[in-house]
Amino acid sequence: MIASISRAIDRILGRGEAAVTLPALDGALRPNRALDEADWRRPLPGVDCIAVHKGSLVVSAGQTVYRLAAGGAWESIGSYEASVSCIAPVDADSLAVALHEGAILIQGGRFDGRRYKIGSAKCITAMAASGEELYVANGSASNGPDEWQTDLMQCNASGSIWRLNLETGVETRLADGLAWPAGIAIAGSDVVFSESWRHRIVRVVSGGPRETEVLYADLPGYPGRLSSFGDGWWLAVFAPRSQLVEFILREPAYRERMMAEVPQPFWVAPKLRSGRSYYEPLQGGAVKHLGLLKPWAPAMSRGMCVWLDASFQPRSSLQSRADGNTHGITSIIDHAGETIAVSRGDNVVVGLRSPALGLGSSA
Amino acid sequence: MSASDLITRWRYRLIPDHLVGEILTKRWMDNAIPLAIMAVVACVFASLIPDFFGAATISNLMRQWGEFGLVVVALTIVMVAGGIDLSVGSVFALGNIVALGLLTVAGWPVPAVVAATLGCGAAVGLVNGLLVGYLRLRAFLTTLVTLIIVRAIVDMLLLNYSVAIAATLPDSDIWYFFGEGNVLTFPFSLVVTVTIALALHLFLSRSRVGWHVLAVGGSRRSAHNVGIAVPRVICATYIISGTLSALAGLLFASRLGGGGADTGVGLEVAALTAAVLGGNSLGGGRGSAAKAIIGSITVIILINSLVRIGVSSGANSLLLGSVLLAAVAIDVRWLKNRHKITSKVYVSPTYAALPTAPSTDGDSPYALNDRLRDVGVIGLGSIDGPEDVILDSEDNLYVGNRTGDIIRFLAPDYSQQEVFAHTGGRPLGMAFARDGSLVVCIGGMGLYQVRPDRIVEKLTDETNRSWFSVVDDSRLRLADDLDIAADGRVFFSEATVRYETHEWAVDCLESRGNGRIVCYDPNTGLTRTVLKNLVFPNGICMTHDGESFLFAETWACRVSRFWFDGPKKGRVEPVIPDLPGYPDNINRASDGTYWMALVGIRTPSLDLALKMPGFRRRMARRIAPDEWMYPNINTGCIVRFDESGRILETLWDAGGDNHPMITSMREHKGALFIGGIFNNRVGRLKLEGRDVSWTGPSSYWAKS
Repeated sequence: MIASISRAIDRILGRGEAAVTLPALDGALRPNRALDEADWRRPLPGVDCIAVHKGSLVVSAGQTVYRLAAGGAWESIGSYEASVSCIAPVDADSLAVALHEGAILIQGGRFDGRRYKIGSAKCITAMAASGEELYVANGSASNGPDEWQTDLMQCNASGSIWRLNLETGVETRLADGLAWPAGIAIAGSDVVFSESWRHRIVRVVSGGPRETEVLYADLPGYPGRLSSFGDGWWLAVFAPRSQLVEFILREPAYRERMMAEVPQPFWVAPKLRSGRSYYEPLQGGAVKHLGLLKPWAPAMSRGMCVWLDASFQPRSSLQSRADGNTHGITSIIDHAGETIAVSRGDNVVVGLRSPALGLGSSA
Repeated sequence: MSASDLITRWRYRLIPDHLVGEILTKRWMDNAIPLAIMAVVACVFASLIPDFFGAATISNLMRQWGEFGLVVVALTIVMVAGGIDLSVGSVFALGNIVALGLLTVAGWPVPAVVAATLGCGAAVGLVNGLLVGYLRLRAFLTTLVTLIIVRAIVDMLLLNYSVAIAATLPDSDIWYFFGEGNVLTFPFSLVVTVTIALALHLFLSRSRVGWHVLAVGGSRRSAHNVGIAVPRVICATYIISGTLSALAGLLFASRLGGGGADTGVGLEVAALTAAVLGGNSLGGGRGSAAKAIIGSITVIILINSLVRIGVSSGANSLLLGSVLLAAVAIDVRWLKNRHKITSKVYVSPTYAALPTAPSTDGDSPYALNDRLRDVGVIGLGSIDGPEDVILDSEDNLYVGNRTGDIIRFLAPDYSQQEVFAHTGGRPLGMAFARDGSLVVCIGGMGLYQVRPDRIVEKLTDETNRSWFSVVDDSRLRLADDLDIAADGRVFFSEATVRYETHEWAVDCLESRGNGRIVCYDPNTGLTRTVLKNLVFPNGICMTHDGESFLFAETWACRVSRFWFDGPKKGRVEPVIPDLPGYPDNINRASDGTYWMALVGIRTPSLDLALKMPGFRRRMARRIAPDEWMYPNINTGCIVRFDESGRILETLWDAGGDNHPMITSMREHKGALFIGGIFNNRVGRLKLEGRDVSWTGPSSYWAKS
């Protein structure tokens, strides 16, 4: 009773839960331009998810999976009837491919050609394999992979985590009621996933009762896919949080009318790439002065990858600021001594030699 | 329009939210709470006590208040200068006994008695003043000591003379008139106090010395630093305080004609309560005669009524003490939080639905193109914020900049620049007058002109005050753009009367008609507001008929025409009611049409927010200004239109690389010069098929 009254007062005065506060980009997350200064850039329209398959880099883009050939050209290794929502290696020569309607296909290896479907899941955002078990994140029960802005604006929390046995086809739900789980990783015996709309990384104790533990909370962006990197992890943060969006998430009336009346590209919502149209919302700090957009300008998109240590605490980050050209990082992996990030916002794959990590780390 | 929109619209049309913030900024708001307390106290006791407003009660109350009010006024003067005078009660008693003694025992004539009594009070005040003002002793302790000493003197005088005083009846009508006489049915003491309070009000608010007193109270050190003789001012306040207290004692003596040991005991606490309750700050610097009067009326009602209800005298003091405590607490909290409340409620957005925006693609006259891609740049990186650009008949280019200069780029190649004049402020719109003077609207200053010999002159910086506005809106805050009629009258827009130049974005958040168009007539020297309640009026341009002009309202996204002469005089008609963006300056084109800059394009998300004032108000309060939703002014364009409102052509820079941000443009000899308020360049675009001899000044001032 008292709690609900104090919440109501908070809402009126903008205190407590209604206060719009964001963690500062500081420490390991100190801004840098490492992604813009990458060692190489390979454009590919619609590029989204990256993995290593048979020793070379493969990426998904639209309905096709491409391989990065020796000369640096993109070479198709398979096309599908629907857009690919994510890919993940099962073992060295086998690749799992999830499609927009929820089908999971295995290409190569022991389970080549098998096709699975998990319940009604049709928003598979990330997968990770361990032996013959495939762990799958389903972002939302009601929205598809491309409707993530809608899911955020509806304040949805209907995502789930599944375990699929590739041999038997048995599916097990490990967690549900999640706010857009968008990345998944196997850490020892645990399943770790990122929960975007709650800005955190969570661990599920696999095999045990349905228990979860928050490993890293209050990220300044929306966390996406995870991949292993040395003894730690790479986390792709696909869009930044902003005070304005946080405020709008607390304004149901405006949000509903915006979803009904404003075309989606022009919503006040995080994006993979913003500032491309004059119909998009503009924030005060993003007004160009003397012909320049300031790097610190508030923006709906940004490039950010966070290097997490073995206990999922941030150690360093690679970024592209408001005036940068490598926004909307949806996927990042470590391969052959290089860190390769996929900027879906700017349709480009960028590669950095690992020493570039010195940037932004605490000296 | 949906039902909820309709309700919102009427809710914001009927309830003027913005007045709350404006009222809070008024200085007399300090008196509002004390006045309310006074009203509550009066109402409560009027209902408790029968015949509270009876003639006898009121008359008696007024006479007592006359004496008490005088003491409170005395204390207020000291408090305003940052001090405190606890000896007022004792001096009151001293005045009483001295007056009675001199009149009865010594047998002095009444005028001499009055003079001597006042002199006595002034002497005590002088002692206080010397100690506190010149020797810098603590006011509280010093006056506490004087209280005790003067009380002791009064007791000694009483011991020696009370019998003699009681035995003699003074035989003087004037004497009795002080205590019992009426002036126009009002008790004499009331008239004296009101007269003195009025004098004090004029003194504090209108006189140089009064301002010195307030300055000393506000900050002693600053007052000293600006050259005010602080010790003398402080000393003077104590002398006035002592004199007025003694005068109150004299009136009391005349009314009751007897000296008791308890005369004036505890009076200082009651007076202090009254002064603080009225809103006089204990810290000094903030106080007035009105506050003293309000506080003293409240306390006198309180004391008298409690006695009449039959509350015992101990409880009476207890209550008075509690009231003092509460008043002090309110005083401190109010002072501390007032500006916070003001800043929270001042921004008050209103319902502002815009007409559907025309599209900017396909067959639309506004369709996106890349015609500004080839714009040449002048002064790239060496000019900061040329809001308006103008060219003279020798082809020289004039622009204002952010640091308050008017820069001249020299023809023919514009590679050389010089400071033509330094004006200060923020030079915005410009126009050439018939005599070649450059008339400039300067944000934060008003309307100025720079003569050809570079002398800067003020034309006007204020207009007539609106009758019913809460804040004084006579001063010009944000003169924006101007144009000059054939007879020399200057019509200029003031974008908003509620915000300063650098706060223009907050005005967009409000989207209320805060702006106006003002006319300065050089023939009479008069400045008059001609149009009010415009939504950020910006560009102004004379039409060719000599009796009307076009003006743009930026946040309303429309262009209208106003007739200042001729048969349609005073009328406003829409020309373009629905622009896809935010219009800025308008200027003449060589073929009789008009150029207009659109500084930004409307975004659907902000258009929706404009229909939700509550949402915008919360946004203003809860998130940082850098994070607010702004009009998208990073991309703009230039349109050419005719008097019927038809769009003839549109010039875009699709990439926004070459010339981001456009606020103005001038056609000159077949080229278009382009300015932008946050830009670091002036653009120049060769136009095809235009009259290469046409210039702005010739269009206005040639032949005729």
